[in-house]
Amino acid sequence: MPAYRPLREQEKQQLRSQGCHAEDWSRIAVADPFDAARLHGVEFLGEVRIGSLAGTVPCGKLAGPCGIYDAVLANVTIGSGCLIKQVRSRLCGYVLGDGVVIEDVGLIESEPGTAFGCGAVVDALNEGGGRGVPLYPELSSNVAYILSLHRHRPKLIQRLENMIAARVARAKAEPAAIGAGALLRGVQTIRNVMIGPGARIEGAALLENGTILSEVQAPAVVGSSVLAHDFIIAEGSSVTEGAILAHCYVGQGCKIGKQFSAENCLFFANSEAFHGEACSVFAGPYSVTHHKSTLLIAACCSFFNAGSGTNQSNHMYKLGPLHQGILERGCKTGSFSYLLWPCRIGAFSVILGKNMANFDTGDLPFSYVEAQGSRSYLTPGYNLYTVGTVRDAAKWPGRDRRKASAKRDLLNFSAFSPYVVGKLLRGEKLLGDLATHTERSVEEVNIAGVFVKRLLLKNGAKFYGIAIDAYLADRLLARIEPVLERGLAEVRKRLAPEPQGARRCNWLDISGLLVADERLNGLESDVENGLVADLAALQARLAECHAAYAGDEWNWVAAVWEERFGVKPQELTPAALAEAADKLLANRQRTVRMILADAEREFSEAAQVGFGVDGDAEARRADFEAVRGTFAANKFVAEMKAELAALEKRVADFKAKAAAL
Amino acid sequence: MAEETAERVRKVIAEVLKVPLDRVVPKAHFVRDLGMESIRSIELIAALEEEFNTDIDADKIGDVLTVEKSIAFMEKTVRK
Repeated sequence: MPAYRPLREQEKQQLRSQGCHAEDWSRIAVADPFDAARLHGVEFLGEVRIGSLAGTVPCGKLAGPCGIYDAVLANVTIGSGCLIKQVRSRLCGYVLGDGVVIEDVGLIESEPGTAFGCGAVVDALNEGGGRGVPLYPELSSNVAYILSLHRHRPKLIQRLENMIAARVARAKAEPAAIGAGALLRGVQTIRNVMIGPGARIEGAALLENGTILSEVQAPAVVGSSVLAHDFIIAEGSSVTEGAILAHCYVGQGCKIGKQFSAENCLFFANSEAFHGEACSVFAGPYSVTHHKSTLLIAACCSFFNAGSGTNQSNHMYKLGPLHQGILERGCKTGSFSYLLWPCRIGAFSVILGKNMANFDTGDLPFSYVEAQGSRSYLTPGYNLYTVGTVRDAAKWPGRDRRKASAKRDLLNFSAFSPYVVGKLLRGEKLLGDLATHTERSVEEVNIAGVFVKRLLLKNGAKFYGIAIDAYLADRLLARIEPVLERGLAEVRKRLAPEPQGARRCNWLDISGLLVADERLNGLESDVENGLVADLAALQARLAECHAAYAGDEWNWVAAVWEERFGVKPQELTPAALAEAADKLLANRQRTVRMILADAEREFSEAAQVGFGVDGDAEARRADFEAVRGTFAANKFVAEMKAELAALEKRVADFKAKAAAL
Repeated sequence: MAEETAERVRKVIAEVLKVPLDRVVPKAHFVRDLGMESIRSIELIAALEEEFNTDIDADKIGDVLTVEKSIAFMEKTVRK
């Protein structure tokens, strides 16, 4: 904090001669070195403190002098090295950090008692209310999930809401600030918005009652014609191009633009929303909607992609917009697909067509759900063997745009985990039992509202079984590969369950964080019993859950291995270990062959329609090859083959070392 | 025997793909001529497995794209 002093008489005279005016000059304080020549046409109202205006700020490729020009300042503190010019209405009630640039703005003001969007309730998932998430700056997807979806624990929710109320009180006590190095240019109105360091706000129309979190290495960007009220925008996100936000949280690394409008929505890490509309959506990490005519409503999703024209309804009955939908991680909706809530869609599934039935496919992940007439038909496990699933799972880690000092949303990217494989196990049993007990005269069966052709039951169970066995074997190998050369005793020790790990239990996906329900239940009970002091402590405990993943995963794998194969992993002989490796390779080879067959369809004659339009069949082939390349040379195909080659080597190495045990 | 296998295969294809039996000719291509979407292939494989009481590795039939190839494949499978 610099040392301020009152203006000297000579300085006041100079300022008056430069068109400046003060209600009361004695309420103006400045820090040295103070150069009165750097203030022109400034009106001072109330208490104003000004830091040193020496130096320059960047103006495009040039540098312009710091200073204050043609502005109305009321009850503000201005840091050092700032440039403020053309404030048409007033800049009122703010503390500006060093190096702030404000140019060509209308009104920037804060009012006493504002909480800057903290405490604003977002009615995500259920438009009619009942799952409201009060906003606060440090909100993570994982905490938001608990707040929204664990309403069956009212004491937990009350404790969390109390913690948030305390946070809101702190927000109210903070002075409105524009952080160091922030840029505000061409903005019409900003009212009651806290702005972090390095934020860039250019051309926004109206921002009211909000917080823009920003760091110099992860600046938030708010762009042209944006309208937002009751919001929080997090570090590294951009909200631009006429987007409209009302009661929204925009998490780290998100991109919202191209006139997208959202009301009562939560968007978490790396989500993207362009062109369409969302209402009461809990968009967990990596939720993406890019196209016009897409309406997302009353849905909870993550690692999700909405095809163009995706639509949902939450007004099934006459009692209002009460219904909700759950799209588990990795789902996609096809172009112009429709879902009538309530529904729950299993992980990594694809939705096609206009689905008017209400169904729950939670235990049938990796499936295609397709509307045919008034019914929805499910093909179980089909999405285990598609290029899309493989490419999606590979791309997410590399597309983490978050550069803030703390990554709040705790994320597991694994396509296969105790969470998803637990569902595969239930699905395998469900389909297997139905395959066994359904008579051949029955053409299709109804499973929780969706129809499955009887013929698909047995192979659906088989596909799930292959995926389960591959996952278990892969985890087994990964568990002991680092210690194979240390001898059998060490290997067996490593294969034993982790003493501190969770026992065999269900797993949950709390908006990106995969956690054993036993572990989360323990945390939630501690919150209920007052053993978690505040929101920071809660986030720290969730981080512990995240850190415990590897150990908890191994315990789950070990328990399932014993259930499935009748032997504890630590009792496997070297020969049995080698056999497990062989099975992993065989399963993976089979899977890759099917995925490559799916990829090869992209190069078939059917895919070449519209190519070589002005020539013959050879022209079509040549045109296609020039634009799309060949199957053999395709990057994805090469990667899959390389993955298989690497696995072959891995298995060979493993078997050689296992043989030496 | 071969003729019987062929007829059984044709019948299954016609039932699953819901096309008239007389369109299920040897040279017919599943996609081009019989309009099979890739997702239907899973059902077709399951129907052939049930008809012939056998298991078919779905990863081994990527290039079985015509009726005559599917007949040949099933003849080979049945002989094993």
